[in-house]
Amino acid sequence: MKFPSEPMLRRIIAFIAALGIGVATYITIADSGGGAPTCLAGGGGCETVANSSYSHIAGVNVAVFGIVGYVLVLATAFFANDAARFGGFALSLGGFGFSVYLTYLEIFKIEAICQWCVSSAVLMTILFLLNATRLIGYAGTDPAAPEAPGRGAPAEPVVSGEG
Amino acid sequence: MSNKREREKRREERVQAESQVETSDRRTRLLQFGAGAVFLAVVAVVVLIVASSSSSDSGGEATNLTGVSEANQLFAGIPQEGLTLGDPKAPVTLYEYGDLQCPVCKQYSEEILPPIYGGMVKEGKAKLVFRNFTIIGPESTPAGAATLAAGEQGRGWNYLEVFYRNQGKENSEYVTDEFMTAIAKAAGVKNIAQWNEDRKSAKVTSEVQETTEQAQKFGFTGTPSFAVEGPSSNGIELLGTPGSTESIEEKIERAS
Repeated sequence: MKFPSEPMLRRIIAFIAALGIGVATYITIADSGGGAPTCLAGGGGCETVANSSYSHIAGVNVAVFGIVGYVLVLATAFFANDAARFGGFALSLGGFGFSVYLTYLEIFKIEAICQWCVSSAVLMTILFLLNATRLIGYAGTDPAAPEAPGRGAPAEPVVSGEG
Repeated sequence: MSNKREREKRREERVQAESQVETSDRRTRLLQFGAGAVFLAVVAVVVLIVASSSSSDSGGEATNLTGVSEANQLFAGIPQEGLTLGDPKAPVTLYEYGDLQCPVCKQYSEEILPPIYGGMVKEGKAKLVFRNFTIIGPESTPAGAATLAAGEQGRGWNYLEVFYRNQGKENSEYVTDEFMTAIAKAAGVKNIAQWNEDRKSAKVTSEVQETTEQAQKFGFTGTPSFAVEGPSSNGIELLGTPGSTESIEEKIERAS
């Protein structure tokens, strides 16, 4: 199976994660900075979702967790080693699972759909697929760690970025 | 010399082979961890979904009212007349334009307004007047009329508060006669037959309509919306939706 090159995957992951930061930041600001929420005539999915008891965990807007998640996934895109590959995979897997749960809440519990939340769920799903591809395609492909100093020829330094 | 070269070559081949084995082991381990993480994530999501689907938070159930005594306690010792809470001679009047179906009004009623009931209203600095602004849907009107009818028996604010604590999903047809009657009884409305008559009367239904039109004339677009009137205010001052108890208290203070 031919995988896309890792530098390409990392660039796309960084781009999608940056989009995710934008979406999650917008949701956070709309919820907290735009004055007190009101019930508008005709209603709207986003108002209903934002006003539901599910929109906050321990007083913190769930979008804030989204920002943190996207920032961490973005950070993993800057490194080309197994820790970053696995970290990006695990973080986006957690984000994807959380998005599945939040989408379930929207459809079956809150019975309203907020387009911004759906956008974030789609971005997190793409990130999960990209990070899974990256892990399967490139896990364990770094040169082996150098032997203990003083034994044999000095090994080449491990490259931690494609530049 | 050739023996030495041979040995070095064999050593390099051995190191390379070991390195390949190590790399392959590392890759296998990482992929195993990845599979384990996927398994854990699936379990976590399933547990979360099962846990939340078994918890009931629907509200709007006539036979399962909650927070009744807590709601009624809020108004102990505070006079009520119609939908005016507090001393009718209090210098400042705070108007709340709300819709009983509105979840944000529920939030205000449970979190933002109680310190005002027990503070400035109880102390006689201000009185609080609820006015219906029915914007959510057709069920908002009978709910508003039921509140006005409860007000006729001095239990209007109790009705509001008990209703909010048991509010169902917007326009989910939960505002039935059975539900409204259960709320009235829980709110301490004594004469249910009279309340039933009042809530269906032309006077009450037209009042719901009139206050809704008044709110629209004020330019309010959402609920809850507030207005204040007092000796230092310039007539009725529109406040919109102040976000906190402190903000409302400050406006009352300024108007007094």
